[in-house]
Parts: sequence; C-alpha cells; structure tokens
Amino acid sequence: MENEQNRLICRCEEITLEEIIQAIDNGCTSLNEIKRYTRAGMGLCQSRVCSRLIARIIAEKTGKPLDEIVPVTARPPSRPVRIDIFSPRGCNVKNS
Amino acid sequence: MKRYCDSLVIGGGIIGLSCGYYLSREGFKVQVIDSMEFGSGSSGACDDMILLQSKKPGVVLELAMESLEMYRFLHMELGCDLGFKQMGGMILIENQEELAVMEEFVSSQRSCGLNVDIVDREELRRRQPHVSDRFISSTYSPDDSQVDPFLVMKGFINAGQRLGMEVRYREAAVTAEKNGAGRWQVLTSTGCIVEAENVVISAGAWSNIVGGLFDISIPIFPRRGQLLITEKIPPIGETNLWSASYMVTKLRPDLAKVRENQSEYNELGLGFSFTRTAHGNYLIGSTREEQAGFKKLVDYRALEALSRQVAHIIPLMRHVHIIRHIAGFRPATPDGKMILGPWPGKEGLYVASGHEGDGIAMAPITGKLLSDIFTGRKSITNMKELIPRCMVV
Ligand SMILES: Cc1cc2nc3c(=O)[nH]c(=O)nc-3n(C[C@H](O)[C@H](O)[C@H](O)COP(=O)(O)OP(=O)(O)OC[C@H]3O[C@@H](n4cnc5c(N)ncnc54)[C@H](O)[C@@H]3O)c2cc1C
Ligand code: FES
Repeated sequence: MENEQNRLICRCEEITLEEIIQAIDNGCTSLNEIKRYTRAGMGLCQSRVCSRLIARIIAEKTGKPLDEIVPVTARPPSRPVRIDIFSPRGCNVKNS
Repeated sequence: MKRYCDSLVIGGGIIGLSCGYYLSREGFKVQVIDSMEFGSGSSGACDDMILLQSKKPGVVLELAMESLEMYRFLHMELGCDLGFKQMGGMILIENQEELAVMEEFVSSQRSCGLNVDIVDREELRRRQPHVSDRFISSTYSPDDSQVDPFLVMKGFINAGQRLGMEVRYREAAVTAEKNGAGRWQVLTSTGCIVEAENVVISAGAWSNIVGGLFDISIPIFPRRGQLLITEKIPPIGETNLWSASYMVTKLRPDLAKVRENQSEYNELGLGFSFTRTAHGNYLIGSTREEQAGFKKLVDYRALEALSRQVAHIIPLMRHVHIIRHIAGFRPATPDGKMILGPWPGKEGLYVASGHEGDGIAMAPITGKLLSDIFTGRKSITNMKELIPRCMVV
C-alpha cells in the first residue's frame, strides 16, 4: 500500500499519488487546480503524460464522470520549442 | 443559507490569503471567498521575485524591505517550505547614459539603507559569464530574493485554517448591502449570504469590479504581463537579471532610445527580467500591456519579442526550450502604489490591492499592516500614502 502511495503520477515533476490525493482532499477538483497545487502537469511534457492519470484519480475520488473533467488549459507552444526558432534575428545581433 | 464571520475577504490570491491569515492570527473569524480556483488569478501567473532594486526610495521601497525581512522567517511561522531563496540580482547596463542614470538611482537607494552597488565589467563577467559582452557594467544587490507564490499561498491557507480561517474557491461575491444593524450582507454565487462586520476587497486586477458591488470606484486596472517558461536547466549565472533600459525609460523618458521596432516595443511595454525558479525553470519576462484588458490569451508577437530579447542579452539561451507561455493581470494603480486601508465613508469596508508588479513581494507586509489597522495598533510605517486616496483615473 505504501508503495502504491509513492507511485509517481507526474514523472516530469516527480509528484506521487499521495500528493495528488492530498490535493483532492484539500478541495482541488480540477486538473488546473491540481496542477497549481502540486505542480503535477507543469513539467517538460506539459501534462501530456500525466493528465489522463490525474483525471482518473479525480473521477475515482470525487465521483465526477471522467468526460466532465475539463482538460488543462493549453498554452503555446504546445511542444517545447527552442528559443532561436522564435528569434531568428536574435542570432546575429549587430555590434556583438 | 447564511454564514457569519467577523471579516469577509473577497479574493483569494496571495494578497487576500495574507490578509486572511494575519487577521486570523489576531483572533478574527475570517472567511475568504474567490470566484475562481486556487492560484488562478495573477498570483498564479507571475514571476517570483522579491525585488528591491527596482523601487524608488520612499514608502514602497521601505515596505518591500520590511516584507523581505518577514519572508526570511515566514516559513517557520507558517510551518512549511516557501521556496525562499536569496540569489541576489543584477540590473544590466548597456551604455554610459544608462550608467549615469543608474549611478544616481543606486546612490539614492543606498541612502535608504538598501544594500546595492554598481559593479564593473569584470565583476559582471565573473558573476554572469553568459551575458553578452555588450553590457558595460551592472548593479548588484545581494538582497534580491524570491519565493514560490504557490507555496506561499498554500502556507497561508494551511496556517490560517489551523486558526479557524475558512477558504472557499468557486464562490464569487455577487451583491452587497448593509443590514439594519450595520453589518455587511454579501450574496455569493452559491446562493449563500455571508454576514460580516468587515469586508476586505483584495480581488487583484478585478478589485474595481468588486468595488462596484459596494458602489465605490477603486482606481485599479489590469496591466497584462506575458512571460515565457523554459525547461529546467542548470544555473547559468549567479543571480537573477534585469536590464536597465526599461528602468531608464521610466526614470528619464528623454533618454529612451529609439529602437528598430519602437511601436511594437511601446505597445508591449517590453522589459527584461530573467529569474530561475526554485524548481530550475527560468522565467523570461515580460510585457506590460495597457490595452489588453482582461484578455488572458497570449500572443505570438510577445513570444517572438521576448525570445529575441533574451537571445540578444544571453546568447546561450538560444539553445534552451520554451515549454509554456503565460499571461497574468497585474493590478495597477495610476500612481503605482498599492491601496491599503479603510474606504472613506463606507464603514467596515477595506481595500487591500493594487500591488501591480509587486504583489508577491508585498504579500506579508500587506496582511500584517491590514491587521495592524484592524486592531488599532499603531503601525511603524507611514501609511498616508497608501490609504485609499482620490485619484484621477
Ligand atoms: C508577468 C507578471 C510578472 C510578475 N512578477 C512579479 C514578481 O516577480 N514579483 C512580485 O512581487 N509580483 C509580480 N507580479 C505581480 C503579482 O503577480 C501580483 O501583484 C499579485 O499576484 C497580486 O495578487 P492579488 O492577490 O492581489 O491578485 P490575484 O492573485 O489576481 O487574486 C485576485 C483574486 O480575486 C478573485 N476575484 C475576482 N473577482 C471576484 C469576485 N467577484 N468574488 C470573489 N473573488 C473574486 C480572482 O479569482 C483572483 O483569484 C507579476 C505579475 C505578472 C502578470
Ligand atoms: S508527466 Fe506530468 S508534466 Fe510530464
């Protein structure tokens, strides 16, 4: 059981099942709120890997149907993008 | 349904939660309501700096210094980690004109007791090996610090709850009136009426909308800020960074340099800030936009401008990935100072808001001062400049 509690739900930010459950017990009811409360979903993959798992935990704990759980707010860039892609002119700055 | 409390705090961002906590500490029965979720206001979409160097000498700098002292010990009082770190900060100086302005500014701050200096090119290189060698010098203050706003909010909630504070998200204030006994009756979106002796408005950029429920007009408006979040990388310099050009523009508008993309620059209100979070991500900021209202969208123009700027100042950053681009609404006031205290002519109504770009830094001192006002304890700091004042918007 203890092992189960320590199971990593968000790998990028190393957030365990226990922490997710704690957040729900403290009143978090949405993916966005759990993200802000625990950091689960703030990682490199921007919750692509963990959000479905977390949604399932919310559904189990709160009885909310899975399809009513709103996905996390999507913000650009939807995948990690290197800064120089956005700043072509930044590469050859004059006087440097 | 009806609920009763001594003080109802409207808005549960970092400021409302601080007010709630410090009032609970004085024995008041406090309820905090917030129309959205935990951290969904500006306190969840911002940098994490307790920045002293950017402040002009005066009440704001004094309070920021006091707030920093409170932060040093707050984790013990709240009983949890707040991600407090003192990395120090440097403001990068590009040319002689900027240097002259910053020298004067720094010496006025020093006379207020701020620990800040101008350092030469060599020291700049030593502390910041990756900054472009275009910069001729910089300021340095070992005192600039940071906290994790989410941890601070959680800390206030948990410690406040231990003192009996109640916090409810997803509950908005909808109407407000006084009953015969002179107590506020606030109807909320859950159909509940909260009866309270005192009401504190701390709804950040939305404070004026909440003010409308009480028939007052609070001169607070949203000033959108966009910033970029990078993947986690090792530290690439000793301190957090800003550039002087934005501050020089504010201090000496006549020296503002004309840029290639001047109109875009002005519209976005582009300034440079570069800070490393406790988790290892860098936050690259930021814009200060007047015209965006409450649009929470981010725009590609800002993404490009912020990327170009950081690549220009720290060329190494070109190879780093952006994982997220966010926007938040700074609660701005016309004179740049927060509004804190009782609203004239409305007994039992208080405002604690309008911190613009300093709400994280100022959170502890704001709650503490409000509780000092409530208990009638005389506060050491001069409050005259902060209590609600008539301002032309
Ligand atoms: C890009 C950016 C960078 C920043 N960097 C820094 C920094 O480095 N250091 C720093 O100190 N500050 C910084 N700030 C400023 C800081 O984010 C704000 O000053 C601070 O978060 C304000 O906190 P608040 O509690 O007043 O507002 P918020 O956190 O916005 O909270 C207000 C709350 O009121 C609620 N509300 C609104 N209407 C109602 C209603 N009718 N009923 C109930 N509740 C309601 C909202 O839901 C919201 O949660 C930055 C801001 C931005 C945008
Ligand atoms: S697994 Fe949670 S953010 Fe990547």
